[in-house]
Amino acid sequence: MTTSADTLVRRARVLGVSLPMPDAADRVVGTLEYTVDHSVEGMVHARLVRSPYPHARIIDVDVSGALAEDGVLRVVTGADIETAVEIPNPFFGLTRRDQAPLAIGKVRYVGDPVALVVAETPQTARAGAESVLVDYDELAYVVDPKDALVPDAPVLHDEWPGNECGEWRLDRGDVDGAMSNATHLFEATYTSPMANAVPFEPHVAIAVWVDDFLEVWTATQWPSAVRGELAHMFDIDPGKVQVRVFPLGGGYGAKSQLKIEPVVAAAARMMGRPVRLELDRDEVFLTTGKHPARMNIRTAVDAEGRFIAREIDLLYNGGAYAVVTPKAVAQGLLRSIGPYRFPNIRIRSRGVYTNTIPSGSFRGAMTNQAAFAYESHADEIAAGLGIDPYELRERNLLEDGDLFASGQVMHDIHFRELLQDVAKVIGWGKERASPAGKAIGKGLAVIIKTTPPGTRSEVRVEVHADGQVLVHTNSVDMGQGVLGTLAQLTAHHLGVDIEKVRVRDPDSSTFDSMTAGSRTTFVADHAIGEACESIRRQAAEIVAGRSYGSDPGTTPDYEEIMREASITALIGEGVYQSTPSDALSNPLDVKGEVADHWHQGAVAVEVAVDVETGKVEILRCHGAAWAGRVVNPIRARQQSEGSIIFGMGPALFEEVIFVDGQVSNPNLSDYMIPSIVDVPINLTSSSLESPDPDADIHGVGEMTIPAVAPAIANAIARATGARVRDLPMTAERVLRAILGEPE
Amino acid sequence: MTRFVEPRDLQEACAILADDEWGNKVISGGTALVLMMRQGLIAPSTLVSIGRIDDLDGIRKDDSRITIGARTTHTAIAASAEVQRWLPSLADACSRVGNVRVRNVGTLGGNLAEADYAADPPTVLVGLDALCHVIGPHGARVLPVADLATGFYTTSLGPGEIITGVSVLIDEHRVSVYEKYVSRSSEDRPCVGVSATARYDGTSLDQLNVVVGAAVAVPRRFDEVTASALGGTLDETARRDIAAAIGEAIDPIEDARGSAWYRRKVTAVLVKRALERVSR
Amino acid sequence: MSSNSQLTLSVNGNHVTVEVPADEALVHTLRDRLGLRSVRPTCGLGICGTCTVQLDGVVVSSCLLLTVQVSGRSIRTSEGLTNDDGSLSRVQQAFVDNGAYQCAYCIPGMVMTVEACFAESPNASVEEVREYLAGNLCRCGTYVSILEAVTELVKGERE
Repeated sequence: MTTSADTLVRRARVLGVSLPMPDAADRVVGTLEYTVDHSVEGMVHARLVRSPYPHARIIDVDVSGALAEDGVLRVVTGADIETAVEIPNPFFGLTRRDQAPLAIGKVRYVGDPVALVVAETPQTARAGAESVLVDYDELAYVVDPKDALVPDAPVLHDEWPGNECGEWRLDRGDVDGAMSNATHLFEATYTSPMANAVPFEPHVAIAVWVDDFLEVWTATQWPSAVRGELAHMFDIDPGKVQVRVFPLGGGYGAKSQLKIEPVVAAAARMMGRPVRLELDRDEVFLTTGKHPARMNIRTAVDAEGRFIAREIDLLYNGGAYAVVTPKAVAQGLLRSIGPYRFPNIRIRSRGVYTNTIPSGSFRGAMTNQAAFAYESHADEIAAGLGIDPYELRERNLLEDGDLFASGQVMHDIHFRELLQDVAKVIGWGKERASPAGKAIGKGLAVIIKTTPPGTRSEVRVEVHADGQVLVHTNSVDMGQGVLGTLAQLTAHHLGVDIEKVRVRDPDSSTFDSMTAGSRTTFVADHAIGEACESIRRQAAEIVAGRSYGSDPGTTPDYEEIMREASITALIGEGVYQSTPSDALSNPLDVKGEVADHWHQGAVAVEVAVDVETGKVEILRCHGAAWAGRVVNPIRARQQSEGSIIFGMGPALFEEVIFVDGQVSNPNLSDYMIPSIVDVPINLTSSSLESPDPDADIHGVGEMTIPAVAPAIANAIARATGARVRDLPMTAERVLRAILGEPE
Repeated sequence: MTRFVEPRDLQEACAILADDEWGNKVISGGTALVLMMRQGLIAPSTLVSIGRIDDLDGIRKDDSRITIGARTTHTAIAASAEVQRWLPSLADACSRVGNVRVRNVGTLGGNLAEADYAADPPTVLVGLDALCHVIGPHGARVLPVADLATGFYTTSLGPGEIITGVSVLIDEHRVSVYEKYVSRSSEDRPCVGVSATARYDGTSLDQLNVVVGAAVAVPRRFDEVTASALGGTLDETARRDIAAAIGEAIDPIEDARGSAWYRRKVTAVLVKRALERVSR
Repeated sequence: MSSNSQLTLSVNGNHVTVEVPADEALVHTLRDRLGLRSVRPTCGLGICGTCTVQLDGVVVSSCLLLTVQVSGRSIRTSEGLTNDDGSLSRVQQAFVDNGAYQCAYCIPGMVMTVEACFAESPNASVEEVREYLAGNLCRCGTYVSILEAVTELVKGERE
C-alpha cells in the first residue's frame, strides 16, 4: 500500500527484530519499579480479615479489640460499606454485580473478606486483624458443582436460584440421528481442578482521593475495567478516576477484572487518607484461580476416523462470585469444539456458583480444560480404531472455507502446518527404545482459541518537535514486553528510529478492554497503524505546500517538518474496535461470527515414564503457534516457551486442594510450580508466519499452553497404555492407571 | 519481646534454654526456626544462637570415627573430602537437602533437632548407626540418632539440651547408599527416602539394614526383615523379597506429596533400587 | 514485638548501621530500610529464590535469615553486582543480551545464583549451573533464555 505519506519518511526496519526491552537493564539489575514498590506520601496500611467458613451469615463484627491496638486507625466492615453515603453502589463485577468490597450479610467462601483493618504500619494492621472478632452462623455449603445443581442445594446468591452462573448451548445438524446410526461411538469424562497462576508480585493497590478525584495505583491487567467499575461504585464520572499501572511482576490472568481495588478505594474514601493493601502469598491463593471443570464428550466416528457427530457437556466451577464466569463459559463452549469439522454437534456449557474461591481469568482461559478433554479424546478414538493419532487429526482438521460449528466461515487458519511442524520436530513416527523400568513415548495436540469480537483499544501517538515520539496506551506490561513491542510497531508505522519512541505506562488516558486473551499485539497494530497514518497524512499536508532546501531525492524527517512549519507536535489517534457480534445474543442458541481471528497452536512431547513409580519426565518438547507476522522474535519465542512451561505444572502436579471447603495448600511448598530442572533442556518453539508482509499479527501469549496437558497425556498413553483423564497427572495417578488400580 | 542472645559457651547456652523450655529456643542456621516463627507455629521469647560457640562446626576424623559439628552446613558436609570418602551416602543426602540456599545456611544439628519427617540426612544417619552428641545442664551424653526423633517435630532432648555433633564409625567394608524420591517438582521435599547399608565378609552379607524416612513420622529401620538376608549374597530374589516385605510392613503417612497407598508402592521400589546398589 | 538491636553490616561494600527488632528478617531490612528493591519476598519459605542475596559470597534466602544473625557480615545484592562505573557485570550483560528476562521479578535472584555458582566452580558446565539454579523459580518460564545466557557464559569462561 503506497500513499503519498510514504514518500515522506524512511522506513525503519524494526519488525522481525529481537530488540531488547527498553528497560532491560533495570529488569535484570532489579531497579525496575513494580506497583508493589510504589508508595504515596502519608499512606496508611491495610489488612483484610477473612472468613474461616465456606458459607455463613455474619451476625456481628466486633472491632473493639482491633481498635484498642496502638496504631490501628479504623476498621471497615461490610455493614459500613453498605450504609456509606459515599458508596452508592457497593456491588461490583464485570458480568454480574454480585460482589461487595467486603462481604455484606453473609460470606460465601473460606477467605471471603469480611473486614479491613487500617493502621499506621503493616505490622500493626496485621495485629489488629488478628483482634477482630466475627460471630458467624454457619450455613450448609457446596464445593462440587454437581452438588450445587441438585434441587435443594444451598443457594449462594438469592438472585441466582439453582446457583446458575451462565448457560450456553449450541446445536447444529442432527446429533441424535447421527449418534444412533454410528458404527463407532466413544465417550469419556475429563476433569481439571483449580490451579493458581502464582504471579510472583502479589496483588497490591494504593488509593487516594483528592476532593472527588480518585487515583489508584494497582497491579492490574485491566485498568480500563477497574476505572469503569470504581466510577460506578462511587457514582462519579470515569474521567474522575485515574488508574495507574507499573509493569507487573507477572499477571497470567490473576490480575484481571477487579480484585482488591474496590475495598482499598472505599477505605481511602472513608478515611480521607491514602490506603495501601498488599496481599500475602496465601491470600493470593485465596483471591482467584483457574476454573475447575468437568467435560463429558461423546463422539461418533466412521471406521476411517472421520468425525460425524459430537456431544459435549461442560461444567465449570465459578466459585463464590461471578467475576467473568457467565460470559467466560460461552468462550468455553466455543473453545470446546477443537480445530475439527463437525457436521453434527451439540454443546452445553454451564457455570455454577459454589462456596469456593471465585474463579477468574487464567492463561489459556477456559481452553486448557476443554483442550485437555478433546485432544485426549482424539487419541482415545485413534487408539480405539487402530489409526495413527496424527492421521486421525489430519482427516478432521478445519481448513480455510470450512464452517466452524457456529456456522462462521474459517479464515486464516493453519492447523495442518502447525501439526506438521511439531510432528516433524519431535520425530513423529520414530519411537525410541525404552530402557529397563521406563516407557518412552510421544504425544501431540492441536488447539484452537478465539479472540472474542467486540473489544476496543485506543492509542494516541504524539510526535514532538524534538523528534521524540510518545505513545499512550492502556496496555499493561507483565513480562510479555508489550511496551517494547508497541514501540517497535510505532517505529515501523511512522518510519522513525526506535530509540526515539517511548511507550508510556497505562494511566487511563486511553481505553483498552483488557491486556489478556492474547489480543494486544493484534489490536495495537491496527490502532497504532491508524494513529500513525493520521500523523503521516498531517505531515504530508504540511509538506505539500512547501519546498525544502534539500535535494528532491531525500525525504525530510518529522523534526524538520515541524520546525519549518513552526508546530510543536503532531498527534494521531487510532482505535481498534472490532464489530460486536450477535452470535452470543441468545445463550441457548449460539451461532454466527464468534471470532475476530483464530488462535492456533500445537505441542508435541516425548516423555519417559518410570513404570514403577509413575513419575513422568519430559524428555523433549516443541510448541508451534501461528503468529502471522512476528514483531519481536525472541519475545514471541518466550511466550510460546513460557506458555509451555506454564502448562507443565497444572498438567503434572499443580492443584489447589480443597478439604471441607478450605484450601489446604495455599503456599509454594505445598503447591509446587515447575523449576528449571523440571523443564527439558530440549524445549523449543516455532512461530509460524505468513509470507504476506501485511498479514494479521496473531497474539502468541497462550497458544501453546492448552496443548501441553493433552500432549503429555497422549504420550503417557502411547508409552504405557495407561490413560489418565483427571488433572493433574501426578505420578500416583499415572501409576494407578498403569496398574489398573483406581482410587 | 523476642531477644536474640549469643552466648560464648555451651554451659551458658544450656542454662538459658533450661530456664524456659517453651520460650527459649536454639537457633543454628535458622532456616527451620525462622520459618516456624513466620508461620506462627512458635513464638520464642529468646533465641539462643550457637553461632559464637567454639568447636561446634567442622568435620574431624580420627582413627575410628568421623565427627561432624552440629553447626556444620549441609554444603560443607557434601563438599567435605572426608565425608565423601568415608560416608558417601551422607554426602549425597546432604547435597540434596532443599536447595543450594538452604544447604548454605542449614546445619546438621538444626536438621536433627527439628525432627522434620520430610528430611534426608536422618534416614542415612540412622542406617549408619550414627551417634548424637548432646550437652545439657546435667552434662554430656551420647545417644543413637535413631533414638533422637520421637515423633513429628519432637525429639527426646531434655530441657536445656543442645546437640553438639554427630559421629559415625569408620568402616572400610561398609557400603551405604541413599535413594530419594520426589513426587512433584524437582525442588519438592522427599516423598520417600530410603537408605541401605551393607557389610560383606567376602561375598556373603555380614550386616544389612534398610531405613525408610519421609514416608513415616520418624525414620524406621527394618532389621527384623533384613536379618533374613544375612549370610546370603543379596541376590535379586532376596532383594525383591525384602522390598516387598518392607512395603507391606510400613504404615505410611498421607500428605500433599502422596497417599499411603502410593508411598507403600514407592517404598518397595526404592528399597529394591537401594539394595541393588549395595549388592555385589 | 521485639526489642531493637543496633548492628553493623557491610552491604554492597558499604558499612551500614541499622537498628532492628530481633525478629526482623533480612529481606525486610534490605528492602524496606535500605531501599534495595531487587530483594523480594514472594513465598516466605525459602523456596522461590526472589529474596536471594550473597552472604559472605554464598547465596542465601534472606527471608529465612534474621538480620541479627548476620551482624558484622558482608552482604551483596543484585544492585551491588554492577561494576563501579555503573556498567553491568558479565553475568548481568549476558542476561540482557540473551533476553533472559520477562517480568523479571525472579531475575536478580537468578543472576546472584549464577554468579555464586561460577565463583564456586569457574569451570561449571551448563548442566551443573542448571542444577545449581533448581531452587530459583520463574513463573514466566524464562528458563530457556536463562540457559542460553548461561551457555554463553560457560563458553566465555572456558576461553
